[in-house]
Amino acid sequence: MDWDQFDMNPKVIAALKKANIKSIKEILNLSGADLQRLTKLSSMDVQCLLKTVSGTLRKSCVLTALQLYQDKDHCTSQHQKLSLGCSVLDSLLRGGIPLVGITELAGESSAGKTQISLQLCLSVQYPYEYGGLESGAVYICTEDVFPNKRLQQLIDQQHTFRADVPLDVIQKIKFGNSIFIEHAADLDTFYNCIAKRITLLLLRGVVRLVVIDSMAALFRCEFGAKDSVMKARYLQTFGAKLHSLSSRFRTPILCINQVTDAMDEMDVVQSNFGLLDKKVSPALGLTWSNQLLMRLMASRITQSEQAPGGALQHSGSVLRTLSVVFAPHLPPSFCCYAVNLEGVKGVKVKTPL
Amino acid sequence: MQRDVGSFPLAPGLRAKLIGAGFQTAQELLEIGPCELSKEIGISKEEALETLQIVRRECNSNATKTAGDPEAVGKCTALELLAQEQAQGFIITFCSALDDILGGGVQLTKITEICGAPGVGKTQLCMQLAVDVQIPECFGGLAGEAVFIDTEGSFMVDRVVDIATACVQHCQLIAETHQEEDFQKSLETFSFESILSHIYYFRCHDYTELLAQIYLLPDFLSEHSKVRLVIVDGIAFPFRHDFEDLSLRTRLLNGLAQQLISIANAHKLAVVLTNQMTTRIGQSQSMLVPALGESWGHAATIRLIFHWDNKQRLATLYKSPSQKESTVPFHITPHGFRDVHPPPPSQTPAEVEINPRKRPRIEGDKQ
Repeated sequence: MDWDQFDMNPKVIAALKKANIKSIKEILNLSGADLQRLTKLSSMDVQCLLKTVSGTLRKSCVLTALQLYQDKDHCTSQHQKLSLGCSVLDSLLRGGIPLVGITELAGESSAGKTQISLQLCLSVQYPYEYGGLESGAVYICTEDVFPNKRLQQLIDQQHTFRADVPLDVIQKIKFGNSIFIEHAADLDTFYNCIAKRITLLLLRGVVRLVVIDSMAALFRCEFGAKDSVMKARYLQTFGAKLHSLSSRFRTPILCINQVTDAMDEMDVVQSNFGLLDKKVSPALGLTWSNQLLMRLMASRITQSEQAPGGALQHSGSVLRTLSVVFAPHLPPSFCCYAVNLEGVKGVKVKTPL
Repeated sequence: MQRDVGSFPLAPGLRAKLIGAGFQTAQELLEIGPCELSKEIGISKEEALETLQIVRRECNSNATKTAGDPEAVGKCTALELLAQEQAQGFIITFCSALDDILGGGVQLTKITEICGAPGVGKTQLCMQLAVDVQIPECFGGLAGEAVFIDTEGSFMVDRVVDIATACVQHCQLIAETHQEEDFQKSLETFSFESILSHIYYFRCHDYTELLAQIYLLPDFLSEHSKVRLVIVDGIAFPFRHDFEDLSLRTRLLNGLAQQLISIANAHKLAVVLTNQMTTRIGQSQSMLVPALGESWGHAATIRLIFHWDNKQRLATLYKSPSQKESTVPFHITPHGFRDVHPPPPSQTPAEVEINPRKRPRIEGDKQ
């Protein structure tokens, strides 16, 4: 840090150099009294110093909420969301996945989590006017191999699935070319992956969506019950790293999570977030939940829960629900969807459960 | 500010140089930095800085003389304090049960901390308060402004629009039933756009940015004197990762709390913080406690804990200097933060008795 560039009294700058203080972070980590002692400056000078360095660090000045609201520029606006490519699902999420923040998609196996995330990998490549971000996606697999066959199937069906988009627009996009696949089976590989390789991809601007399938698989095998402190620390580090990537590049992060059966009543009350009718709760506990912006839950409707007349049976395929567990801008709500050959589609059901 | 440069107590040579370079009023001098000044009139940096300090000091002393004697604030009796506190008013939450247990609403000149699991409604209450603080005075509000410091990126402007629109409608309904002139007059300027334009939003990405922002806050608040609420949503997130040195964390947090208290007192505003919950593993069972450790518990004057009971959201007043500990239910509707049973507040005690699981939980927390 070159202190000479700062608009400060040369006496203060000399004192800083003498005290061997090298960065703004170092100054802010010290209390005012400590600074006075180290630099032998008066309290007035220290106050002035703190304000000057704070002002340098916080260049981005204040925004009013109205400015945020009226911001129509798709590079900065909060209204810009990542569409799921289906109007029913988008309306459940008020437009789609928010660009800044970690979105979690939890659910039992075969609830359709991977299907939704594959679809997002495709919809992110569409132009802005069709709800995409005109960029690719990176898909980090931690448990299974990447479902390549299914992806090809979805790509082939895009022209029937996205009837709202003109055919020539779809034909121009090389879907397969901009999905990057990473495999990370253990925690260190995963950290390297997000800290180095993903950062590089984001810096180049070739991806605007990060999918992690799944977060829980990384942790389930390596940690026993007694390592919970270590586990929490890893989760917090990952959460912070993903957060900073997301806000730096305005890139949505989708984390797929498994669910665990709720063990006892206490467990349900604490970690099920008001979803008492569900017998499962998302894995990884409270520490991970604290890192999230919003949590979605996908689940299958079992045969017995379906209406007797088969009212919820939808054209031969199993009906599933996508529900919002928590989000700062959405009420807890749900909608039904079906997974077909061409992709994931929301279903409007008149009689909710 | 328009004072002549020649009238400041500066060395005659310096004064000549300043005037020679075209500086006429103090205002012009205050707009430039010392480096610039030293280049402009060919004096050393130190001289330039001293000159500017003199000018600033003179200007400030003029300003304070007109604003009133600052020494008088130093001491006052408890009776005066009580009168002051009662005159201040509260920021209502739109949930009358919660207002009741808080003794009227969120108090000015105090730090209120809201703790809770993700998704229980902490950010919702913050957004609601940022809107409610702006309710015009004739409707019993404070007609203030709000500062929102966001560390988690959870400030969703669409949601604020929902809440603000509902609040404006509510005031319009009151105005229709009462038909008073000042209601109509204040409603003319009270729209969701005006509400949004008086929420000042700062996004902080890590703890150094948060600390820097708090250092800059006093200057911002003196420029925006109508701000009555500072929200930090959430205090815990930047401090809960990558801290190897926990004593540093404690020290920074205590410093932060101290600054916030002095800001709250100096500018007569309420500070609202949100905090995460963490699991404390005890001998026989584990329980949920607010994060950031034991010493942080002293930082806030008022501590609210939000939690779930089955599908009902509950708010427990956990620490307060003036109100007794109690628990009330609340709802989050599309319009914002609301009562469970909107009209009759008398039903709330009965409602509390119905929830059997709540009692053991609170006792557990006290251990």
